[in-house]
Amino acid sequence: MSDFISIHKTGFRLLKMIHSVDSAIIPLHLLEVCFSTIQIYAGLFLTAGLIDLLLKGAYGQAAQWALYLLGMNLFFGVTLCLLRRKFRGMRNRIWLIFYVWLREKAFSLDYETMERPEVSEKLLYSERTSEMHGGLGVLLCRYCDILKALLNILLSVGMVAVLCMAGPEKQAGLTGWIAKPLPSALLFGAAFAGMLLGSWKIFGKFAAKQMAIFSSHTGVENKISYLQSQVLGKTETGKIIRIYNMQEMILKNITENLEKACAYYENMCDLERRECDSNKMISSFFTVFSYLLVAVKALTGAITVGAFTQFAGVVNQFGNACLTLIADQGELRKICTYMGPFLQFLDTENLHAAGSIPVEKRTDGEYELAFENVSFHYPGCEELALKDVNCKIRMKGKLAVVGRNGAGKTTFINLLCRLYEPTAGRITLNGVDIRKYSEEEYRTLFGVVFQDFRLFAFPVWKNITAGGERLEERIRKALRQADAEGLVQAMPQGLDTNLYKNLGDGVEISGGEAQKLALARALYKDAPVVILDEPTAALDPEAEAEVYARFNRMVEGRTSIYISHRMSSCRFCEDIIVFDQGRIVERGSHEELCAAGGNYARMWEAQAKYYT
Amino acid sequence: MQDRKKHSIWDQYRYTFHYMREKTGVFSLAVCAGDAVLSIMLPFLEAALAGVVAACLVSSGPAGQILAMAAGYIILLQTVRFLQSHVRQLRVKLLFLFRGKMGPELDKKSLEMDGQSLESTQGQQKRRAASRNLYSGNEQGIEAFAAGFWDILIHFGGLVVYGVIVGRYSLLLLLLLTLQTMCTAWFHSLAGKREYKMEEEARENLNGLMYLKRESIAPGNGKDIRLYRMDRWFLGEFHEWIGKVTALIDKGTTAVTAAGIAGAALAFIRNAAVYGWLIMEMAKGNLTLPVFLLYVGIVAGVEIWMNGLFDALQQSYVNKKIMDDYRDFMEYGVLKEDGEETLKNPGSIHEIRLEHICFRYGGSDADTIHDLNLTIRPGERLALVGLNGAGKTTLIKLLCGIYRPTQGKIYLDGQDMDTLTRKEVFKEFSVVFQDVFAFSFPLAENVSCLGTGQEDKKRLRESLEKAGLWEKAASLPKGPDTAMNKDLDEEGVSLSGGELQKLMLARALYKDAPTVILDEPAAALDPIAESEMYEKYDAMLQAKTGIFISHRLSSTRFCDRILFMEKGRIVEEGDHEYLMKQDGAYARMFALQARYYRKKREEERIYE
Repeated sequence: MSDFISIHKTGFRLLKMIHSVDSAIIPLHLLEVCFSTIQIYAGLFLTAGLIDLLLKGAYGQAAQWALYLLGMNLFFGVTLCLLRRKFRGMRNRIWLIFYVWLREKAFSLDYETMERPEVSEKLLYSERTSEMHGGLGVLLCRYCDILKALLNILLSVGMVAVLCMAGPEKQAGLTGWIAKPLPSALLFGAAFAGMLLGSWKIFGKFAAKQMAIFSSHTGVENKISYLQSQVLGKTETGKIIRIYNMQEMILKNITENLEKACAYYENMCDLERRECDSNKMISSFFTVFSYLLVAVKALTGAITVGAFTQFAGVVNQFGNACLTLIADQGELRKICTYMGPFLQFLDTENLHAAGSIPVEKRTDGEYELAFENVSFHYPGCEELALKDVNCKIRMKGKLAVVGRNGAGKTTFINLLCRLYEPTAGRITLNGVDIRKYSEEEYRTLFGVVFQDFRLFAFPVWKNITAGGERLEERIRKALRQADAEGLVQAMPQGLDTNLYKNLGDGVEISGGEAQKLALARALYKDAPVVILDEPTAALDPEAEAEVYARFNRMVEGRTSIYISHRMSSCRFCEDIIVFDQGRIVERGSHEELCAAGGNYARMWEAQAKYYT
Repeated sequence: MQDRKKHSIWDQYRYTFHYMREKTGVFSLAVCAGDAVLSIMLPFLEAALAGVVAACLVSSGPAGQILAMAAGYIILLQTVRFLQSHVRQLRVKLLFLFRGKMGPELDKKSLEMDGQSLESTQGQQKRRAASRNLYSGNEQGIEAFAAGFWDILIHFGGLVVYGVIVGRYSLLLLLLLTLQTMCTAWFHSLAGKREYKMEEEARENLNGLMYLKRESIAPGNGKDIRLYRMDRWFLGEFHEWIGKVTALIDKGTTAVTAAGIAGAALAFIRNAAVYGWLIMEMAKGNLTLPVFLLYVGIVAGVEIWMNGLFDALQQSYVNKKIMDDYRDFMEYGVLKEDGEETLKNPGSIHEIRLEHICFRYGGSDADTIHDLNLTIRPGERLALVGLNGAGKTTLIKLLCGIYRPTQGKIYLDGQDMDTLTRKEVFKEFSVVFQDVFAFSFPLAENVSCLGTGQEDKKRLRESLEKAGLWEKAASLPKGPDTAMNKDLDEEGVSLSGGELQKLMLARALYKDAPTVILDEPAAALDPIAESEMYEKYDAMLQAKTGIFISHRLSSTRFCDRILFMEKGRIVEEGDHEYLMKQDGAYARMFALQARYYRKKREEERIYE
């Protein structure tokens, strides 16, 4: 029972969400339920009347009834056609809005929360299952079907009661006795009860088995889709597969997964067929039995031959409605089970409380940032990525951050941008813990080119403004500073050119060109702090020298942080922080650090020796 | 894609059922045929039900006999119902399995076809179009195409049976029905075409939505999205795309609705005529009630058959196109000139000679490599330098046989590469390409490129050690057997950029081919790791030919010969000292990078 309640609690919450998309959806669906039910019963009633009139030989009147029947069908046919047209559009919208809901929520969560595997897994799981089994649209259909079935049962039980009440004219013999109100009511009741009991048992048996198969089947589709889209469907993989002769290994992997998927569906299909067979068997017994009961009623003159067709139809409706009701309840359970993680995702709360104080707007860019005893480890990883880091970032200075792979440089930036919060210690802006600031405002301080920056398959200008307003002058200035002006001019539609070919006609850009555009995006933001993480990794020596030469102008009047394995970049930064194993081990100017003969000097020498 | 070969629909059916027989056996075809027979029978029995029972009831006979007759018929009907449902579900299952088992065919093709064709934009498009045949659910592609054949047969069969029944009674009635159903079918075909067109248009837009859907939550995008407040932009785009897609689908639906309404109106007229006529016949005494009921059922049935037939034809039309795309891809990228000869001395170091090589990418109007001549001596250490876009990466793809020159010849020890099988050629090269990523297989498999447990453990360890990744590999939860990323194994781990680069190097070392090509193998390495790699380079390449591409010109110091490329040509050639003396493009570029490493402060002032 509690299972039943929780299913419908979920179901109703989802219905409410559907309602919020368009308040007409649910009322219109209710109208459809009513109309289609009326059409069935009106059809049965009018057909019965028609047959009786034909048997009586009242042909003129029969023709009139036939016209009613056809007119009724025309009316409902057209109305339902129009209603269903409306539904199709509505369901398409719901299907797509579902993705938007998930993304709205994902965007509203902070980075650290979204990065947690259990959070993103919920999002992916709900999308995957709703793509596989149908999402909110199907839920709506199932609820309509259930309502239809309930309405059907109500009407048919009423009509069967009327049928039972009709007493026979010929009371002789067994048929005469059966046709009497009480025995016929009892017999009908017994048949209904038998069918319901049987169906319920079957349902219970198969639902458990189905859930068992369903839950044991994890992720094969994901694996197939990874192999299909990431291993086979990408341009950069083909050459590696061929040079390293990986064909056989990959094919074996795919075949194995496809076989698993096939075996799963084969099991599912077999189970569904067995369930369906059992249900068909029971409903067959019920149909034969109840047809005969109605026939007895007709034979004994309790009802007319016309009424026979009507009541036979009613009994048929009743049987079908009961089966649909049980099957739909099962379907709903399935939908609500896999929609559970969807709702849980929507209910996810941020790991950290959001701050609210606004960041002081300063035109002079005098913001002071400081790390105070900051330690940090990534979630799910015990090793500290940063250990007791203390430092002040000098305003309007040029800071270089160097260190070996994995020393903590990128983590340092991630914390500074508030993508993660320190495990211990605090980071302050003008002496105030950055957690107290509103996140959105705090981030306006930073223009960042991450090592793994992304551009998107939209026009260049949207990539530069990050979807913001198109301010031509500012765009030009940012492009100029990033040395990307010529690059954009050479594109077929200039700023309106789409990047990449994902959405059809775009231009493919090289890694170096992408880096320039990402730099322009950071400069366009016009933030007081500019952070560049390996901005020249993909550039040739000339382009690299260009960036170095422009660097001073680019960051003029701003605080800049430059991370690079190219030690040469330290030459134009007056302040250098050296990380090693999560700690700041050295700090100073290039000359000071070279003279100190520590980590920095070693790294410098490792690279410089080839050039001198 | 206009140039694709067209197959007739019969040829497509032949192809489909050939494979169906191969994959799921003759039994599956028998099931489909059995389903067809039952599916034609069932509606007829259902249509006759009311008439038969009415006939029983109005007949004069003992109650028991009447009831037995009616019961007999209903039991027969229920049995056929039961069988039809059972066999239909079998059909559904077998058709699905057929599609599932076809999956490897397409993947095998993608793996074995010519690499250059697959990599091209056209090849990628063709592959995407072809995967629709197998990987877009059971209402599209080969599964639906096979089902469609039987559905057409069923509905056509049903129409014939009903037509004969109606025709036997009255040819005029048959004519009326035919006319009306043809009109309705015509409406539907118009609407269906429009719907298809709109859906195709919507699908193009849907691609945009799917892109947005993927990118907005792709791991790694979250940082940029939050820093640049892209959420508003993305959500705005989402709503815009949704508006476009739903509007297009709506247009298609409107057409279908109009056809539906017109059909309902026509059905009304037809029914009015049929009912009127049948009632008149009854009034004249030419018709009994059971026959009246049978005909009413049959007439309604004709329409259902007709609509079904039309739907099946429409679906087949759509799926045939998808089949065409599929077979187009299956026949694409097969090189006629692929050689048969084997290499004279496989596994030993080769002399590689390039003669007048030109290369142009498909769809481009300029050569990327122009008339290039080059001889690489066995065991040579070669450095390839030049600006971005000079053609370095293209050149190495030509060298190792992934691309074929548009003009010119490449010789391996004097053997024309075109006369050799590609697999033979690939065996001779270990290449680290610029794209740094791991497949989501275990680390060991990423290195050995062999299936689970097939790797040589000693060799694996050696290559990881040489690449400087052994410690990391050993520290992972399952050691080198730990999966990379989480796509195939939830317990997989991700490596950093520097580690991935070492992984790429380890793979090249494990392969132990006589020619090693490294394209920017140190871009993500820190200075110490980079320097270590340079120092080990010579030892790593014992008795091998090495080609090294890098923007870090320090790397040229340990190469015998430097090739400086510009716009697809080799413009300077020689060792470091020689090129520096020449004071040409190479020397300028070297100076540019070296400047920052010189000790004197005044060097720097030039740039301030």
